[in-house]
Amino acid sequence: MAERTFLIGAAAAFVAALLPAGVQAHHGTNINYDRSKQWTAKAVVTEFKYVNPHAQLYFDVTDDKGQVTHWSGELLPNPAQLLRNGWTRKRSVEALQYGTKITVTVAPSRAGGEGVLVLKIENENGEELLAGGPNAGGPEPPARGNP
Amino acid sequence: MTNIPKRLLYLTLGALTTVSLPGLYVRAVAQERGRAAGPPAGGAPGRGRQAGPGYLKLFDSNMPFEAHDLAGIWSPNGNGFGGGGRCRDCGDRGYSFEFPEFTPAGQAAFDKNIPSYGRAKDSDDAKAHPEEHIGRRRAQPPAFGNDSYGTCNPMGMPRAILYPDPVEFIVLPDRIYQHFQWGYGLRTIWTDSRKLPAADDVDLPRWWGYATSHWDGNTLVVDSTGYDERTWIDYFGFPHSDQMVLQERYTRTNYDTLELKMTVTDPKYYRKPWVAETKRMHLLPKDFIKSSGWAGLLEDLCAPANELEFNRVIRDPAGTGKPPVPPPGPGGR
Repeated sequence: MAERTFLIGAAAAFVAALLPAGVQAHHGTNINYDRSKQWTAKAVVTEFKYVNPHAQLYFDVTDDKGQVTHWSGELLPNPAQLLRNGWTRKRSVEALQYGTKITVTVAPSRAGGEGVLVLKIENENGEELLAGGPNAGGPEPPARGNP
Repeated sequence: MTNIPKRLLYLTLGALTTVSLPGLYVRAVAQERGRAAGPPAGGAPGRGRQAGPGYLKLFDSNMPFEAHDLAGIWSPNGNGFGGGGRCRDCGDRGYSFEFPEFTPAGQAAFDKNIPSYGRAKDSDDAKAHPEEHIGRRRAQPPAFGNDSYGTCNPMGMPRAILYPDPVEFIVLPDRIYQHFQWGYGLRTIWTDSRKLPAADDVDLPRWWGYATSHWDGNTLVVDSTGYDERTWIDYFGFPHSDQMVLQERYTRTNYDTLELKMTVTDPKYYRKPWVAETKRMHLLPKDFIKSSGWAGLLEDLCAPANELEFNRVIRDPAGTGKPPVPPPGPGGR
């Protein structure tokens, strides 16, 4: 897709190392997804769920031919972790209402399909939504594949 | 990467993350005394920051304390909340870095368990870390795994205390409750001198086992048995039999540090007692965890209504590459 920007090399490694530092899943999350193939795209929110075990973001991406793909994403943090970072349910739901335009960076499923791990969400103003925030995790970034 | 640049990197990252927390959670007075070197000092009182190997430093460790008073909210395994890495004191979720000696039955039980935590089985990542035992290099997607916590069954012990989320010790005259935020599990440790049943004499196994305790000097010794065999010893799928006896030794070594030493004795599955590396927990202020202005543990419950739907819609499709199966219809479940 023309709109996708593939992150490569050091930049990808850097982002991959930083992003999961704040939050970890209780199991299985990183096993399902391939962080080395992450991509970024403009998208439109179709649904957001602020629930355990992980917050979920459903969104549509339209390619340059007008083809729409529906994606189902999980976020690394659960509500307790989001709350700790100041992202209460009200604030999160309001920021990701149906129809909200976002730029999303995800890691795709290793097995294929439309399931992704959502690593970063930005709104139209370039503000990061549901960010991990400081002190969300330890000083040592967990190695890829661990959580 | 050699140790020194790696340390520098972590220090830098630590420094980068050393900024104020949202006001919601922060009551931190930074104190460095008696601690190993952490990120450089600089936080003002009232601002949260990390010190030492991966935990929030919130108290002066040198304050007077009562060694037999374990009441409070402790942050296990060196780390604050849900974070952590592989180092011994920063949130690792393994019982031990050493691989135990299994009996044939124990080996078979270990092989049968399929965890989803650790490095992916047969991956380049797993192959690149031969120094880690195989338990840490055999993870498979939950869709192909058999972790009973994946459908919200109780974690049991010692697994529950290996997760780097807070645990509250609620001390009553005749018992101590360990209330785990992650999973919202409750475990009873009796302190009324009752005798532990022999593993063979347990009438009915329990997910959280049978636990009794006594003081050995300033160490609370907790002996437990009678655990349901479906629980795992840790996140890497180490098994235990109905014969497991777990001993935990809790020692409050200063105002805000609680050390935990553990030994698993399970002759059916392990050839000799399996001793864990010492784990450390750190005290959190009573009002450190808050939501809606209320202090206290969060209800971080694993609810089947959430988990099963999540497995159906997100987790299993991501693991298999197949679209979600339709939900069960009326009367289907």
